[in-house]
Amino acid sequence: MSACLHCDQEVIESYYADEEHLCGPFCCNGCLTVYNVINHKGLSEYYQIKKDVSFFKKRAPVELSSAQYSFMDDQDFITEYSYKGLNNESTMEFYLEGIHCLACLWIIEKLPEFVPGVKSSKLNMGQSVVSIVLNENGKFSTAAHELNQLGYRPHPLKINQSSKELKTKEDRSMLLRIGIAAAASGNIMMYAVSLYAGAGEEYASFFNLLTVLFAVPVLTYCAWPFYRTSWQALKNKTLSIDVPISMALIMGAVMGLYNLFTGVNENYFDSLSALVFLLLLSRYFLKTIQEMGLSTTDLHFFYQGESVLRANNEALNDFSEIHPKFIRPNDILKIKQSHIIPADGEIISGDSYVNNSLLTGESEPQKVSLGSNVFSGTLNISSDLVMKVNKINSDTRLGSILRNIENGWGQKAKIIDITNLISKYFVAAVFILSGLLFIYSYEPGHMKEALERALTLLIVTCPCALAIATPLTFIRTLSKSAQKGIIIKDDAVIETLSKAENVFIDKTGTITQNNLQIVSFSILHEPIIAFYDVIHNLEKNSQHPVAKTLKKYIHPLPYKDIEVSDFKETPGVGVSGIIADHHYEIKNNSIYQNSKIIIQFIVRDSIRNDAKESIEKLKAHGLKLKILSGDLKEHVEKIAKMVGLNADEFEAEMSPEEKNNVIKNSKHTLMIGDGANDAIALASADTGIAVFGAMDISLRAADVYLSLPGLSPAVELITISKETMKVIYRNLVLSLLYNSISVLLAFTGHISPLTAAIVMPLSSLTVLISTLIGTKKLRMIWK
Amino acid sequence: MEIMPFLIPIALIIAAFFIGGFIWMTKKGQYDDLETPRHRMLLEEDIKVTHTKEGEL
Repeated sequence: MSACLHCDQEVIESYYADEEHLCGPFCCNGCLTVYNVINHKGLSEYYQIKKDVSFFKKRAPVELSSAQYSFMDDQDFITEYSYKGLNNESTMEFYLEGIHCLACLWIIEKLPEFVPGVKSSKLNMGQSVVSIVLNENGKFSTAAHELNQLGYRPHPLKINQSSKELKTKEDRSMLLRIGIAAAASGNIMMYAVSLYAGAGEEYASFFNLLTVLFAVPVLTYCAWPFYRTSWQALKNKTLSIDVPISMALIMGAVMGLYNLFTGVNENYFDSLSALVFLLLLSRYFLKTIQEMGLSTTDLHFFYQGESVLRANNEALNDFSEIHPKFIRPNDILKIKQSHIIPADGEIISGDSYVNNSLLTGESEPQKVSLGSNVFSGTLNISSDLVMKVNKINSDTRLGSILRNIENGWGQKAKIIDITNLISKYFVAAVFILSGLLFIYSYEPGHMKEALERALTLLIVTCPCALAIATPLTFIRTLSKSAQKGIIIKDDAVIETLSKAENVFIDKTGTITQNNLQIVSFSILHEPIIAFYDVIHNLEKNSQHPVAKTLKKYIHPLPYKDIEVSDFKETPGVGVSGIIADHHYEIKNNSIYQNSKIIIQFIVRDSIRNDAKESIEKLKAHGLKLKILSGDLKEHVEKIAKMVGLNADEFEAEMSPEEKNNVIKNSKHTLMIGDGANDAIALASADTGIAVFGAMDISLRAADVYLSLPGLSPAVELITISKETMKVIYRNLVLSLLYNSISVLLAFTGHISPLTAAIVMPLSSLTVLISTLIGTKKLRMIWK
Repeated sequence: MEIMPFLIPIALIIAAFFIGGFIWMTKKGQYDDLETPRHRMLLEEDIKVTHTKEGEL
């Protein structure tokens, strides 16, 4: 199968830019349109660059929206979202959907060349954030419109100036600490090696002084984060892995300084500063990888990104576009077909179908007309509506779910990760051993030697491998998973996921595709007119989802237009009319001819291809499965049967709160879902996985996001987490083994700065290799 | 070994120079975005947008 010229996804139905079918293929009309826009603007170099890029390619979803951005010129909006950059120019930042390779970078940074009024445009690929700087007469709406046309849907970001500055400062100081630790430990090593090699008496004391000088910034400024977290842990009467590290660093410093003043030219600064550098580095990488995923605060703006039309007068003939943020109660809004309803309210004109599945899990669209209530976050399917707003933002039903999620965050069981758990016993063991060593080597009159040996033990048993091994393993798993389209928000997720026992799965959108299909079509009596002509002519103008599905079903057949008389559409029931002197009616999933049933069909949400197999695999892992759905019982039962689940393995007609309760009452839970109705459950489960196509609000609540469709990535993730934990345990054993060797050497009196300088890096190297090798299963998955 | 008193200060000065440079660059924000520049450098500077006339594809 060939790949789309624009977005690289598999092409199922080909589209071409020219009639000879030379230019293409494209996977959808959206990509084709973007291709034309890009060429039209003289940016065709984009495709040349894209062809040359073979790395850093994520899948680029391109969904064209007709969104207009004129609301970005409102003064209210500008003051709230833009800020003054360098030279006092107006700057705004946008999160862009679909940034995936070098070519995106090129085309976006070329913006000033073809969009008037844009002074500069800089993209941060890691975060998919572009900052647009305007000329005096420039408009943000023009820039946003152009970005949208190019296929990158822009979402304006509200920049909190102070928190952003704080984060920049933190990032910079972290880099400074790493850089200084690296430079200092490199220099220390030069002098330490000459000391080990037996530098002459006249140099030895000078070199020793130099190593102390270099070690001062490392053990104070660079190691500061370790001291801070240790202090916090001790204040909370707990222990973390940082406590024994800080202990070793401080003991090392004390002993080094003591030796300097007593004229003994040896210290542990070479090992200790290299250790500080490695630890800082591994933590920095872990942090960077975690930030690669979407941060939860950034997702705040997502669920109300699109602009809405607000009526300017009572006559409802003049609408202006505003940002959803500025909707007020009692506003009259026009909701276009296939747009998301931005607030809770009441319909004041128009008939349509609304898909509530994101809020309630019901798969069947609801009919709405004058006086019906509609809810924020639901989708207007069939035709334009005019509504009066009752409730906005956090007062809406969606808003209250969001609030619950925010509360849910704190309710998650606190996880003490395995390394911190071990550190408790570790610290105790080291202290007891040091005490024993002191007593063992104490001889009357030789107090100093005994004390020295006990202190040395504290230094050399520093759990460096232990502290490096775990982040290292997580870094590898997180980054490899991200390459596979599994975005994990936090490293702690892997450990909880490996312990999961009860798996809860949502139906709509997770097991099923949330897309109606005709699964059976039986003709009981041959109709007088071909059935496709009946369907075509009766359902021609209907926007009902079942009507749409039927029309799609007969699409390849040779239907023709025949005149219909006495046509009637009864909302909620069906359509009827007289075609060629016969009365036809489509209702209740059947077609009637002169009031006699002639055709029966079944419309059902189709199951994802990999659902059955994935569920079997989950069961093979020994997990207990259960479907939790807000949909009607009969629908859920059918789906459960189709994927091979028993009657006690599903629960239907559940509200978001009920789903949450079920999860709260179970242990070691994993929730897989997509809709807003799953969001609370996703947040309160030990691990929440949001599947591909999930709603923004559930992304915020979940710990893992699958950016590829289907359930199979979730199955893979469970295997990954289990195997990763195996590697972590192996690394723990290895590093504890090295520490036991150090203890043994200390007791036999063989410990010296030189042995520490050999054993410490060797243990770190061992865990590094062990991490890279992984396990057999991991190697197979990563391949 | 008479060279040592001369070499060691030089080594220290070079080290101080680079550490100072690193601190300066970090504070100036040179390392704020470590992802994009490594891609940006691969792009040719002089690829210009070729303006086509309206309506022409």
